[in-house]
Amino acid sequence: MNRLGTAGMLAGNAIAAMTPLIFASMGGLFTELAGMLNIALEGLILVGAFFAIVIASATQSLFAGFIAGSLAAMILAWVYGAATIRLKANIFVTGLAANIFASGLTVVLSNQWFGTKGVIALKAPELTRPFVGTLGGIPFLGQALFSHNIFSYLSWICVIATWIIIHKTPAGIRMRATGANAEAVAASGFKPNAYRLQAIVMSGFFCGMAGASLSLPLAAYVPNMSAGRGWIALVAIYLGARKPGRIAIACFVFAFAESYSNYAQGLFRIPSEFMLAIPYAATLIALLAASLAERARRVNR
Amino acid sequence: MIEQERKRGKVLIATIAAAIASACLLILLFSKDFAGSLYLFFIAPLANSYYLGNLMASMVPLIVAGLGVAFAFESRNFNLGGEGQIYAGALAATLVALLLPESPALGVQLLSCAAAAAAGGLIGAFSGMLKRRLGVDELISSFLASSLIVLLVDYMVTGPLQDPASNFQTTRAIAPATAFAKIFLPSSLSIGIFVALIVSLAGKAVMDKTRFGFELKLCGANGEFAHYAGIDSGRYTLIPMALSGALHGLAGSLMIFGSYYRVMRGFSSGIGWSAIAVSLIAKNNPLALIPAAAFYSYLDSGAKSVMMGSDVSSEIVAIVQAVIFLLITASRLPFIKAFAPKKGGSE
Repeated sequence: MNRLGTAGMLAGNAIAAMTPLIFASMGGLFTELAGMLNIALEGLILVGAFFAIVIASATQSLFAGFIAGSLAAMILAWVYGAATIRLKANIFVTGLAANIFASGLTVVLSNQWFGTKGVIALKAPELTRPFVGTLGGIPFLGQALFSHNIFSYLSWICVIATWIIIHKTPAGIRMRATGANAEAVAASGFKPNAYRLQAIVMSGFFCGMAGASLSLPLAAYVPNMSAGRGWIALVAIYLGARKPGRIAIACFVFAFAESYSNYAQGLFRIPSEFMLAIPYAATLIALLAASLAERARRVNR
Repeated sequence: MIEQERKRGKVLIATIAAAIASACLLILLFSKDFAGSLYLFFIAPLANSYYLGNLMASMVPLIVAGLGVAFAFESRNFNLGGEGQIYAGALAATLVALLLPESPALGVQLLSCAAAAAAGGLIGAFSGMLKRRLGVDELISSFLASSLIVLLVDYMVTGPLQDPASNFQTTRAIAPATAFAKIFLPSSLSIGIFVALIVSLAGKAVMDKTRFGFELKLCGANGEFAHYAGIDSGRYTLIPMALSGALHGLAGSLMIFGSYYRVMRGFSSGIGWSAIAVSLIAKNNPLALIPAAAFYSYLDSGAKSVMMGSDVSSEIVAIVQAVIFLLITASRLPFIKAFAPKKGGSE
């Protein structure tokens, strides 16, 4: 492969790896803006991934799988949100509940339905790659931008949609107001708790899509296939200063680290544990660097 | 105050009831032989001395790591890195014990446990330091650091430290003479249980009788007030996180000397999360950790016994654990509201 081809492949892999991160971080952004740190993203993604592929395979319909994954994650998000808001439980502990529930439920069900706790390979229709036949032929750009399945383009639309929702719709503006000053929202005659719960269920919907975008293209469910993406998404939200566009850029950086390390493994035979560790290391380093930069800025001021 | 205590008690009872109910429901859903599985879940763990002893042995890391969780929680820090700290502690302890094969047992045990506590403590201190110096959320940093550490230990166990004589993914075993003495054969219960009891007593003393414990709780209850009272609240982020990590590391070493003797890949997986459940059930009270750990170990050994004896996978215990997490911190209950005393009544 020539150099341009390699570059196109690397960029393309990074953009593909970015897709679930974008969905998850847009979901987490809603809860973040409503004033809550949502550590349940990880579990919500996992549940979405499991039900999306299982239902897609059972019905042989990708759309049904997509709906099932999103719905399952929304239901779990609602339970998590209801316990947190209606029962006034500690949000971090209920977030753990959601994560532990997700990893337990997926193992129990996969053991029950498929007789294995390992990888479940399933038959499902192939995802559309809308531009492969046309724009996909362009050198570099074709591989980098137009080789992807429908989920990648959907995730880009989601970034724009998220921006519109939080800045231009009354519900989104009130959601942000809830995070900034819940008392003022209550004084204006609105219910902050309703907006909080709405934000959590929204995060469930987006994480469900994140999960579907992991399992449907693979036509398989891999145990713990969310692999820390919910946590990486949280850091991306922080690095992106809670702005959808910047968050997408942060997601790209993490996705690039992930896909580049996959590429490097092919060249240097790095132990698989190190490969799996790279996203966590990259996230931790980014978190550290951003905090150091933030402190430097504060000191200089 | 008493009102609040009573409410907490109700929440605790409701949570435990919901946990047991959900276990029954899961068995009903997933098992073909409901009565048989129910017996395996609830009765079998207590039915003979072997199971009972193993149940008590599994309390050891839960009590010690649970105390670690409690110290962090009481100062309002969330240590989500327990998994990695326990695993790293176990590896550190095993390494020290393997390097000193001919030394007196007590010396090896003390040195190993100290190394384990240091390993866990450093990992905890890392997150505490990040929060203190840079304001990085300790919840996220401790989780990320722990995930990283788990993978590194996995690598060590399956790579450089793999026992060449074994087909399993494990390190070499420590010398049998250096393991803790067994006290309830044939089960794996060892004198580690006394270590755990002493640690929880010491934890109680530190939390309730020392200036450190008092200031730590003050910072947890009201950081701003503590700040104006002249307490260095940053210190009470760093030290509790380090202490929490150290206790998790110690828990890992007790598992090695008590029951496992070697680090197998993923052998301690899940203990960190369970310790959080135990500490929440105990409301961060060091002495209450003992019954809380007993309850939790009971559920866990029930799930294992169901898995071995029937068609249900042991991960149902994770779902039960999730139910506990979901409800244990609730300050309002949906179904038993009717029993609560009316507000503004004639008191």
